[in-house]
Amino acid sequence: MASSSTSEQKKKIRLKSADNELFDVDEDAALQSETIKNLLQEISGDQIVPLPNVTSKILAKVIEYCSNMCELDPIISVNKQWESFFKNCDQDTLFDTILAANYLSIKSLLDLTCKCVADMMKGKTPEEIREKFHIVNDLTSEEEAKIRAEISWAFE
Amino acid sequence: MKKMVMMNFSELPEDCVSTILSLCSPQDVCRSAAACSELRSAAELDCVWESFLPVDYHEIISRADPSLLKFRTKKELFFLFCNSVLIDGGNKIFNLDRFSGLKSYVLSARDLSIAWANAPLYWSWKNSPDSRFKENVELRTTSWLEIHGYLKMKMLSPRTTYGAYLIFKVSERAYGLDIMPMEVSVKVDNDLVCHNTMYLRQDFGNKHHIQWLLYYNRTEILTSRVNQGLDNSILIHPGVRDDGWTEIELGQFFCGGSCSDHNKVVKMSLMEIKGHHLKGGLIVEGIEIRPLH
Repeated sequence: MASSSTSEQKKKIRLKSADNELFDVDEDAALQSETIKNLLQEISGDQIVPLPNVTSKILAKVIEYCSNMCELDPIISVNKQWESFFKNCDQDTLFDTILAANYLSIKSLLDLTCKCVADMMKGKTPEEIREKFHIVNDLTSEEEAKIRAEISWAFE
Repeated sequence: MKKMVMMNFSELPEDCVSTILSLCSPQDVCRSAAACSELRSAAELDCVWESFLPVDYHEIISRADPSLLKFRTKKELFFLFCNSVLIDGGNKIFNLDRFSGLKSYVLSARDLSIAWANAPLYWSWKNSPDSRFKENVELRTTSWLEIHGYLKMKMLSPRTTYGAYLIFKVSERAYGLDIMPMEVSVKVDNDLVCHNTMYLRQDFGNKHHIQWLLYYNRTEILTSRVNQGLDNSILIHPGVRDDGWTEIELGQFFCGGSCSDHNKVVKMSLMEIKGHHLKGGLIVEGIEIRPLH
């Protein structure tokens, strides 16, 4: 299916990650980010778009995701593959991708990664949530008892 | 050295945490609130609870008595709905399931269409302490028992299978109700979705036995008339509800939620009009429409 598009070179956008790595990205993939779209309007034509909040490791993943989303495969199957990737990656990558998707304003990626975290919380007790997400409990025992009393139904 | 896992909820901006929580269930949100202070405050946010409210919640608010529906946050509103709210002048109960967020309703007897219901000779309206409505209705006597409830499909949760249940009691002095099976049905617009037959009484004591001896032949003939044309005429008996009333299923239907479903009307019916004998003692509280679990 790519035959028609390869004859004509696609326009590339050059992105720079927080750790100063450069990425050349197809324009239609880059434009899935509202933030990049807005930045491109502010800077002139061929300049590099700086993304000081995203590391090269995460940016590479985000670009891969955006490129996949531009392909002609059914979006649903692409989404399924990425869902399984985010469900199995380490939590740092997952949370960093949420931050990146939020900063870059890529709604579909933000929804997908947030849904993965939501699924990880499903059916878990407060203790299990703390353990799963390495959360330090900063509630006093009185506060915690009060919350638990209010929502005793949720523990049925 | 193994890398420490550093990322967690405290690194995320509040709108990311609220997005995550809005994709959880109400139960998961409440449980997460006991994990740490950040999740506790996120679990109170209106944008989280708004996602658990039905899309038409403004309309439901407008149909409730404002003096009975006082809330400051969306979370409070959600739990008010979970505890049932009277709407439409007190003639319907609206309810949200706190686990699934799915809607259900109870149409009061006043909200039903009952043949001859305004004729005091046949039906008597009364205030009853065990009713959640202002009044319910008791059948004094009739040979023509016909009850219908109507509900707009758009009032229900989309992509959900619902069951409709007649909520009733049978008084001590009831008669004639169990000679013949009742015909129950559900129609969506004019399409018959469900049709079944069932008996309203559970006990088969002495009274029933005598009736059976006296009217056996007649009953057999009439019952065959009711069951005619029904492929699946398994007779089901009433179930006991938590609120002390009994119920029978009138039928099940699927609410798809597409645009074409939007204006459809569900019609739920109970009829016993083929026996021609007098019957009485049926106390009708209403019809409940709730999701099947």
